[in-house]
Amino acid sequence: MRLLVIEDEDRLSGILKSKLGEIGFTVDIAASAADATAALELINYDAAVLDLGLPDGDGLAVLTAARQAGKALPILILTARDAVEDRVAGLNAGADDYLTKPFAMTELVARIKALLRRPGGVLGMTLEAGNVRLDTIGRELTIGGIPTRLSRRELAILEQMMRRFGRIVPKAVPEEKLYGIDEEPDSNPIPVHVHHLRRQLEAAGANLGIHTIRGVGYILADTTA
Amino acid sequence: MNRRIKSLQLRLTVELAALFLVASCLAVGGLIYSAALTAGSVADRELALRAEDLARYVSLDEMSQKPRLDLPATLQQAYFAAAQQSVFAIRDKDGRLVEASTPEIGTMVARWPPADSEPSYFRLSNFGPSAQDYSGVSIRLDSAAGPLSVMVAEASGGDPLVHSILREFVFDIAWYVPPFVAVALLLAAYSVRRSLLPLRAASAQASAIGPESIALRLPEANVPTEALPLVVAVNHALDRLEQGFVIQRRFTANAAHELRTPLTIITARLDTLEGNGQVSALRDEVGRMNRLVEQLLCVARLDSVAMDVSAPVDLRQLAEEVVGSMAHLALLDCRTIALTGAEHSVVVTGNGVAIADALRNLIENALAHTAQGTEVVVEVHPEGAISVADSGPGIPAEDRPHIFERFWRGKGARAEGAGLGLAIVMEIVRAHGASITVSDQAPRGARFDLRFRTA
Repeated sequence: MRLLVIEDEDRLSGILKSKLGEIGFTVDIAASAADATAALELINYDAAVLDLGLPDGDGLAVLTAARQAGKALPILILTARDAVEDRVAGLNAGADDYLTKPFAMTELVARIKALLRRPGGVLGMTLEAGNVRLDTIGRELTIGGIPTRLSRRELAILEQMMRRFGRIVPKAVPEEKLYGIDEEPDSNPIPVHVHHLRRQLEAAGANLGIHTIRGVGYILADTTA
Repeated sequence: MNRRIKSLQLRLTVELAALFLVASCLAVGGLIYSAALTAGSVADRELALRAEDLARYVSLDEMSQKPRLDLPATLQQAYFAAAQQSVFAIRDKDGRLVEASTPEIGTMVARWPPADSEPSYFRLSNFGPSAQDYSGVSIRLDSAAGPLSVMVAEASGGDPLVHSILREFVFDIAWYVPPFVAVALLLAAYSVRRSLLPLRAASAQASAIGPESIALRLPEANVPTEALPLVVAVNHALDRLEQGFVIQRRFTANAAHELRTPLTIITARLDTLEGNGQVSALRDEVGRMNRLVEQLLCVARLDSVAMDVSAPVDLRQLAEEVVGSMAHLALLDCRTIALTGAEHSVVVTGNGVAIADALRNLIENALAHTAQGTEVVVEVHPEGAISVADSGPGIPAEDRPHIFERFWRGKGARAEGAGLGLAIVMEIVRAHGASITVSDQAPRGARFDLRFRTA
């Protein structure tokens, strides 16, 4: 997995490189908008981290150029907390997520992983969290290495949760989006499926737990943490 | 005027009242004087006419070839009936007495020089048996018996004409004066009040100026010329203060901004260290510092930019996003957040980013005070309000007036908070014209209610 970090502060980019390298990413650093645009044209990165404040120009220009060149890679932007407009403009220009400085490294890693876990992302085919592993193509689930069977709908819900591991899955995700539009209407509401799913994860000895955030949705998180 | 009177309005009114009183006294006095003068001149003409009348009835006696007065019966009666009231004496061109109303007059006049053709007016004091004052005229007149010196006088104390004119004046005209003075005074007081209105407006404006509204200035329009230099000088002073304020705020913002990169680096470096107790303690501390810098930046932003609060904001959706984004952190801390209340959109007018900031700060505050294993409940109310309730120790009544002050922390506060969160909430509430209240949550805990104006 190859990442491009576009950041002019070399102390910060150095730490990013070593930390992301530790968990298996190959990281290239671009310290200017010109370098970044050149690098993005040359290499097919799996994701990019883009600081909007660059010495030779607007980070947004890099983003716009990449999108216009047809690059679909997930891009996470780093912005200043007090520049709300930057944040909005970044998302409008095609950024996939944003993080404000100062940020925790764990948060950055979680965000990058979440982006890569999207369908089409480099981690989007086989989802892994804790001792749970889900092959989204073959629809095969193993918990602690042991194959486990779930109903199709439970599997679909688990997939959503694993793609957004550690982050909220809104309870209001439309059912079509969850199950596909061609399926027959479901008689059981989502909370019922979640209830079953939770019990089966427990029974299979998964070190993941589903937390209910009343009124909002669900969060899949490590139970060991 | 009284130096102790501090009110300009009162002082002007009192001074004007005094002025009016003096002026109206002068006016009334003048009027009385000129009325008396008029009456006097009317009386003088009357005397002259009477003298001519008398002269007309003087003829040359055929027998003695001397001038002789032949008054018609009516006049005769009029003169001699009131012998003490009206007196006269007529002398011929040689100074011999022709006729006199009383012998004393005759005796007295005999010593006088012959009269001139110009009337000469005189006064007699304590004259005659009744010792009255008389005013009279002496004039030379032609008659059938040649030139005559005619003297006519009238007891002045008893002049009914003058009295009646004065009486008429006092009753018909002078009573106008007190109401006129009163009305003029009222008008004066009103106009003084009116001219001081711009100063009142300026002071009202001045009392609205504070750290939150440093851009306000005193209105210079319509301010009286005399007060304008003061108002202008105050405004210039405010300009200089505002500049100082702006520099101060810019410094805070820049300082916080500059702290961000080193903090990011420290945070990242700490994350790469293998964790023992020391490192995780450091991490917590840096986390607090991060939060503080973030809040300082938020405060600086709220101070520097006028917030656009005119956009429609869906409180329900906003609450869902904020709760969703904070839920994971709460879970890591063994607490949960729940969202209840309205199921559908609740739209208010405001600034979505700012309201989200306010809600985030309220939830953070609640999470910091509620016990592990408990829930912070965020509720969206259909009438355009959000409440955040925890089950912590609650907020003592004596602390409630202070919790929204910057850097204020309660006695029992734990070390992590800088006391900025609720101040930020208050700034946002103020910018929205919204309201926030603190109350007790049954059975225990604190509850904050944020009410917005609905769209």
